[in-house]
Amino acid sequence: MNSLERLMAALQNQPADRPLLFLNAGLYGAKLTGASLKVHYRDPVVYAEGQVAILETFSPDFLISPFALAGLGEAFGSRVASSLRQPPNVAAFAAESAEAALRLPLPDVDSHPGILYLRESIRLLAGRYAGRVPVIGLLVSPLDLPPLIIGLEAWLDALLFQPEIARALLDRLTPFFGALGKAMLSDGATGLALTANLANRFIVPERVVETLGRPALKEALAEIPGPVILHHGGCPLLPHLGDFMGHPNVVGYVLDAGEDLGEARRVLGAGPLLLGNLGGPDLAGLRPDEVRVLSDQALAQRGADQQFALATCCADIPLDTPPDCIDMLTDAVCRTGRAPA
Amino acid sequence: MDRNFCQELLGAIERADRAGAASVVDDWAVGRAFTQVVPELLSPTLESFGTLWSQGHNGVSLATGYVAAKVAEDVLSRLLRESSQDGGPILPAKGPVLLGNVEDDFHPLGRNMVAAFLRAAGWDVRDLGVDVPPTQFVDQAEATGARVIGASAMMHTTAKNVARIREEIDRRGLTGKVQLAVGGAVFKLRPELVAELGGDGTAASALDASALFERLWQRSLNLDPTPLRALP
Repeated sequence: MNSLERLMAALQNQPADRPLLFLNAGLYGAKLTGASLKVHYRDPVVYAEGQVAILETFSPDFLISPFALAGLGEAFGSRVASSLRQPPNVAAFAAESAEAALRLPLPDVDSHPGILYLRESIRLLAGRYAGRVPVIGLLVSPLDLPPLIIGLEAWLDALLFQPEIARALLDRLTPFFGALGKAMLSDGATGLALTANLANRFIVPERVVETLGRPALKEALAEIPGPVILHHGGCPLLPHLGDFMGHPNVVGYVLDAGEDLGEARRVLGAGPLLLGNLGGPDLAGLRPDEVRVLSDQALAQRGADQQFALATCCADIPLDTPPDCIDMLTDAVCRTGRAPA
Repeated sequence: MDRNFCQELLGAIERADRAGAASVVDDWAVGRAFTQVVPELLSPTLESFGTLWSQGHNGVSLATGYVAAKVAEDVLSRLLRESSQDGGPILPAKGPVLLGNVEDDFHPLGRNMVAAFLRAAGWDVRDLGVDVPPTQFVDQAEATGARVIGASAMMHTTAKNVARIREEIDRRGLTGKVQLAVGGAVFKLRPELVAELGGDGTAASALDASALFERLWQRSLNLDPTPLRALP
């Protein structure tokens, strides 16, 4: 089976030759190619070469678009700072408040250079691996866009103290999110993975989740004409998984590091993909034998689950992670295998 | 019946109701000297909230912690306003201490909350902002006489820059005299990093930062009571 066939089998809860493997290894591609991060996160050809190297070295079942979400803020006018060790970050915001952000022009998804970088990365990978390896477009939901445009504190101020302005900004950003999501899919992305941290009760109180978070997320997801995987985004997801169920087009969930995979499946029931639960940033501090133990534990728990994917979660796998540690994940899914259909 | 203002203020914070909190403070202030607002109302309320927060109490989100910090800021702003009008003493000053996000880190929320709670506890906080190079932290400690540096990092990749602050402190012969407090999401997830990267301590939540800074300040004094060298 190739990776796309493996994914299709998982989506239909059908048997496959082995569990799926997802690596959040956008950054790590630069380690394999030797590209500077400044170039890696600006030039789609260089980024795509990194993903090719990841595929050839570690054989994951998914390729990903750049996990460089600050670029979305930059498209609205935020200033981005590059780094020698991590993806770019927003260093200065495009506007000071949600109210001010309402006056910002929406970026054109067909012409903004930062957005074209994301889209071209997808086009290059999808063109090369069509029919063989799924390509996932990484995005943030409209709820998580304002922290990249006005900062998290200003966005909390709006969500908590000015809900009508928060709602207006969400209404303004949702069409942009929809246009970008549709564009990524038309570029060849098999599906999208996105965060919705500001709809998580770990971050915001129940009333914000109920009155703004869930409704806005539901409306946004309805704009996407393709499959979506919801990513925990750095927050615990399992305690609040129910809030993220029943939304349109959602086919899977990426859990936080160490979250109970069995309990998540119990809550979700059969149907959605379940991805987890090794913290990508943790890999740098572990020995290969420790990664092997963690991988085997996850697979012992869910290996027989036809809709499970062993996945790194949280942020990128860091540059200083020994390749042997990543090899352990590949080795784990291959050793697990499954009875053929 | 006597009103339990601390409980009311706590309830407003838990509901993320900043305006409601201000109203509780207004009611408390009727017939009372506002100079007593910190020891009699704010501190006990924040202490109770801190307990709920560190216990992961259901309903306490990051945003409610943010609201608690905003309420503390609101109370302190009013206190400063009223004290300056009265000509009375402003907050008792401890410190100074420094806060900043380590180099390459652009996530200020946690640091801003720590700053608000430290100020509510009477600390003179010098906030250096985000993306602060190690030399700037230590230059400022020497310039201001700060015995505690609070360095914030959210991610594992940026947390490694804490080790560079440690090196800079040691290189200048300030080991022990300048204590290094560290905080941020990554240290909650991986507490072993505190010692591994050269931190002298961390706190379970932003509200626990004041107790940590007290401890580290005292440790610095015990090790070397002479003032830090001031730059010319």
